[in-house]
Amino acid sequence: MSNIAGKAYAMNVITPIRWYKVWINRLIFKIALSKPSTLKGLVTLSLIHYARWVIIPRDGFPHLDSSQPKENLNYAYMLFFSNFNGSWDQYVDSFTFAIPAGLDLFWKWNVRYPKSVPLSPFHKYIRHNQIDTSHYYNAYPMAASNDVKSAKKLKQALINFNAESASKTSEEFLADYNRLLNYLQHDFGEMRATPIVSLAAHAVKERYLKSHAAH
Amino acid sequence: MTQNLELTDIQGNIVKAYGAFNFTKARYLFLRIDNGDKGREFVGAVTTKVTSAVRWEKNSMPVATTNIGFTFSGLQALELPTASLMGFPEEFVMGMKGRKDILGDDGPSDPMYWDKIWQETVHIWLSINGQSIEAVDERYQWILKQIEASDGGVTLLTGHRGEKDEDNLPYQDASVLYDAEGKPTPKEHFGYTDGIGDAVFEGQTNIQARVLGRGKLTRSGHWEPLATGEFLLGHVDEAMDYPQTAPTPKLLAHNGTYMVYRKLHENVGSFNRFLDEQSKVFPGSKELLAAKFSGRWRDNGAPVVNAPDDASKAEWDKNYAAADFAGQKKMLIDFTYNDDIDGAKCPISAHIRRINPRGSLEYGVKDAYERPGALVDRRRILRRGLPYGKVKDPTRDDGNHGIIFMALNADIKRQFEFVQQQWINYANDFKEGNDKEVLLGNHDAKNPGKVVFQVEKGSGKAPHFVNNIPRLIEARGGDYFFIPSITALKMIAGGIVDPT
Ligand code: HEM
Repeated sequence: MSNIAGKAYAMNVITPIRWYKVWINRLIFKIALSKPSTLKGLVTLSLIHYARWVIIPRDGFPHLDSSQPKENLNYAYMLFFSNFNGSWDQYVDSFTFAIPAGLDLFWKWNVRYPKSVPLSPFHKYIRHNQIDTSHYYNAYPMAASNDVKSAKKLKQALINFNAESASKTSEEFLADYNRLLNYLQHDFGEMRATPIVSLAAHAVKERYLKSHAAH
Repeated sequence: MTQNLELTDIQGNIVKAYGAFNFTKARYLFLRIDNGDKGREFVGAVTTKVTSAVRWEKNSMPVATTNIGFTFSGLQALELPTASLMGFPEEFVMGMKGRKDILGDDGPSDPMYWDKIWQETVHIWLSINGQSIEAVDERYQWILKQIEASDGGVTLLTGHRGEKDEDNLPYQDASVLYDAEGKPTPKEHFGYTDGIGDAVFEGQTNIQARVLGRGKLTRSGHWEPLATGEFLLGHVDEAMDYPQTAPTPKLLAHNGTYMVYRKLHENVGSFNRFLDEQSKVFPGSKELLAAKFSGRWRDNGAPVVNAPDDASKAEWDKNYAAADFAGQKKMLIDFTYNDDIDGAKCPISAHIRRINPRGSLEYGVKDAYERPGALVDRRRILRRGLPYGKVKDPTRDDGNHGIIFMALNADIKRQFEFVQQQWINYANDFKEGNDKEVLLGNHDAKNPGKVVFQVEKGSGKAPHFVNNIPRLIEARGGDYFFIPSITALKMIAGGIVDPT
């Protein structure tokens, strides 16, 4: 089991919501999506790869086979699914400090939601309802979300520069090159291994590597 | 909200930076407890001399102070009840050596190479700050007597490196540095002016005059003191919560806090060579380059964000000379990076910007967060500490000189360790990937780091790359200590801690 793969952490939180209040949450999601400014805090928190909230109605859980027992659920559920960079604490803390009102708006109608401030009841609520990740595949474990954004920007800028600079004089080339560096000055961060997010998760990985090296 | 702190109960080093009160000398002792009963008696004896946070009037200022703290194993040796011990946080239980992978203490900073004393089990930290070396020594002699009187209860540990190649000193001395005329200065060994910025929290005295640039930034651009609970257990913190790092019973934790002690060696030769070499390719003076490393000019501490080149520095100096005392303070400390989000003035990798980004993690997105410092206000620390040693040959790294760095905070993991790991040795929050902070980063000799000094966006100018950064600072020892209140000290000494 690990919630961590390289620089990314996968968080799944599933919280009950009274089925007859689901429409309120749906409405709030709709408004938030139609007014991007409500999400600017979330977007500015650059440690987030993405975050998604989904309502699963009482009868909406998959029933894959007739052999799977039917469930009779009392609640609808809100699934919160997020991948982010850094530790659980860093993420949950950033959320509460940066966008407490937004969190309260999204979770307000969920059963026993304590509000995001003060912090420890909120911590307990999230941890209690978190489903730990059993399998987590990350194609670019060394890349944080910011690294991906920078790499994409850098690649495109280089392709363009290459196409445009071929026939230029050396003075023009130099001026263009400096402009290119200026344009990319926030995208040159080195990409190396992750700082250790959790000593426990790190030890799990080390043990795994050791036992596989031995075989 | 105003808060009156119980100043008679709080250890003085938490609320005061003694350095600001003319305490130019300090001596740090580390002890092992060999016997619980006698050890507690020793703690009781020292407690009578422990300096509280009570305000000093001119004529009531002591010539020497004493403060005390314990490692987790120290509290075990003092036989605190298991239920109390179990309330301490993981990082404190593990101690600094156990956290080396978090702190980035690798290569020459590996605990393997620390001063010999750190190969021992350290239980007690005792500090003496003095107005003179004589005052320090007098208090030291008094402590030696208490150790002797403990009759084998406690042992003063030896193993500090010293000036003359000793490796077995019984204490670590620290002192301000002096100028050529023998006057005390606020300098450290790289030549920077230090001790300007320090967090201010609710309940400290004279808040109004001190809060500028040192408290937390409000939405309207003002400064307010940080919540007391960021620095003292048992008080409400910035999350409207009581610090979760407090052990039980309440009285054991209340008015106490945690301290990080770190002996940081400064590679002065490498620094000088690096600065010389880099300044050959830097568009600006050598002093400007040095200023960009730290975020402040070396000579007088002028913030680079308000004096970003040689011409504006000359202007700043003129205004500074013309300002009165309060005006000068304000010029030194009351600034943000909000008009320099891109880092063209103060590089994003500069020491003080990485460590206290003020409102800049909002990236200029207006009202993105609840408060401009939403990602910063829970990462603040109180700095206490002094330089140690002398630089005998500025072209060399070896010897024994650096900073005894001490940080106080309610939550070592959330405050000190976070800054050290995420903001010094890593930079995702700054969108600079794995680039490390210039001065403190654990730069790797085989794979030397670089940072980018940004320039005006859209100016067509190339940013400046600082390459091949050597390891400038090396850890030489340290640990995590619990700094109890005076009430708690008496409870520990009396063996009456009862978490029921
Ligand atoms: C030998 C190592 C170090 C040196 C030479 C050094 C040097 C400096 C200097 C010159 C300043 C500017 C003066 C001032 O604002 O007071 C400063 C500020 C500061 N340093 Fe360090 N420092 C060292 C280690 C550390 C460490 C390990 C930390 C924390 C992890 C730290 C945290 C701070 C903080 C919080 C400030 C004030 C920043 C602000 O509020 O603007 N320093 N340091």
